[in-house]
Amino acid sequence: MTSKSRQCVAIEPDLIASATGEAPPAARARVDAHVAGCLACRNDLTRYRAVDAVVGTLRADTAPAGDAEAARRRLIARLADLRTRLVSYRVFSSPLGPILLAASDHGVALVEYLDRDDATGSRLFKMAGVETEENGGELEPLHAELLEYLAGRRARLEWPIDLRFARSDFERSVLEATAAVPYGAVSSYTGIAGDLGKPSAVRAVAQALRHNPLPIVVPCHRIVGAGGDLVGYAGDRISLKERLLAVEGVPTLPGRVSRIVRRAMYHYAPNPDRQYCLPTCGTIFERPIGPVRLFARREIAEASGLEPCVDCRPDLHPLG
Amino acid sequence: MLDDTAFEAMVSTHHGEIYRYLRRLAYRAPEADDLSQETFLRAYRARHRLTPDANVRAWLFTIATNVFRNHVRSERRRRAAHATVQATRREADPSGPEAEALAGEVRTLAEAAIRRLPLKQRLAFTLRKLHELDYELIGQSLDCSPDSARAHVFQALRKIRMTLNGHALPSTEPMCPTESTR
Repeated sequence: MTSKSRQCVAIEPDLIASATGEAPPAARARVDAHVAGCLACRNDLTRYRAVDAVVGTLRADTAPAGDAEAARRRLIARLADLRTRLVSYRVFSSPLGPILLAASDHGVALVEYLDRDDATGSRLFKMAGVETEENGGELEPLHAELLEYLAGRRARLEWPIDLRFARSDFERSVLEATAAVPYGAVSSYTGIAGDLGKPSAVRAVAQALRHNPLPIVVPCHRIVGAGGDLVGYAGDRISLKERLLAVEGVPTLPGRVSRIVRRAMYHYAPNPDRQYCLPTCGTIFERPIGPVRLFARREIAEASGLEPCVDCRPDLHPLG
Repeated sequence: MLDDTAFEAMVSTHHGEIYRYLRRLAYRAPEADDLSQETFLRAYRARHRLTPDANVRAWLFTIATNVFRNHVRSERRRRAAHATVQATRREADPSGPEAEALAGEVRTLAEAAIRRLPLKQRLAFTLRKLHELDYELIGQSLDCSPDSARAHVFQALRKIRMTLNGHALPSTEPMCPTESTR
């Protein structure tokens, strides 16, 4: 066995490139000049061309079309499944501290107050059947709207919502009833239980709102105790409840337990004429909030389809 | 970034080729099926990072290459005896070219030689010679320079040529008698 000359070794990369059609003109010229005087390399060139031809036949091979099509169909099914499970999230700063927003294909699924500017402690990662992805862009418009809301420049967050993190149909119905309480209005756990036709389920309503996956969006801050106390918000974040109500113009009285200032709000106790009243009308002020709904402004009551009471005439004697 | 419609269009355009690539690497249909699904699911999860001017085809090949390399790593861990795996694969693959005649034999030898290549050479060779990606993109997929990618491909061709020594190959031009035996 003889070894190749130094020139033959040096030319080999160009020779392979030339045989496989990858050599630039200068390299081809070098190869042509070399093989003109070197029979061994000329044979190598021919041999590499033949190898390239064999490889060409492999290139033309395709997998059976049925296999590829079946694989594609399975992929489409798995993509559809992934889409239903995928929830993208991002942590944003806000006047209320770091807030995590998470959304699926169906809508916003989680709004969560965080203690730190870091999602690792989020309940999102404890949810079964969910695949998370940190998202750079899609959630930014929601954050911008949230900031407008918190600055009092926006009364509604009209986001499509995904209630997948509600733990039961009952919780879902509580969240839906709560979502119907308008901006600047206040209801009670008793009121929501009554709206659902389950007046005895007051504690269950409170529990459901304790787990509200969408605070602010589903405005559980508008739900207070029967005595008007600001109880139970996102753990012990009562001060946030107070701030959110303040944004909406709902007056509160700070204290050991903060409470709604009822006398500064319009009252609606369900009545056939759907009339709302001043707090001084009859005995309405003495009644527990329970089924009574309160409004920070007349316009909000009237936007809810209520009429001014013909006795106390809140339209003529608006609260100062 | 790709929205869902654009992503589905991308699947339609590229799935067939990516599936073929993985089938060439993995040999068996079920494996190629799993790996191509994994490739596109990863791509879906990473769709936000895709810039508008990105070369989607090259991006998918890079993901598929990584998926396959991870698969090889876990297979190696799972099965100590690589030769046994290969034997099993060959037996399990009903669509091998063994039944074909002389040209088929050469192809089988070439395929076997490709299969025996070190992983990087095999990936570079498959990307370049069977899917015609350029060396720049192959380098990106394999985390090496375009020159290294080319060197891998040429080294692979050398080895395939060695395997086919002594076998009649399709004639491309008359061959002169060799002066010496190599």
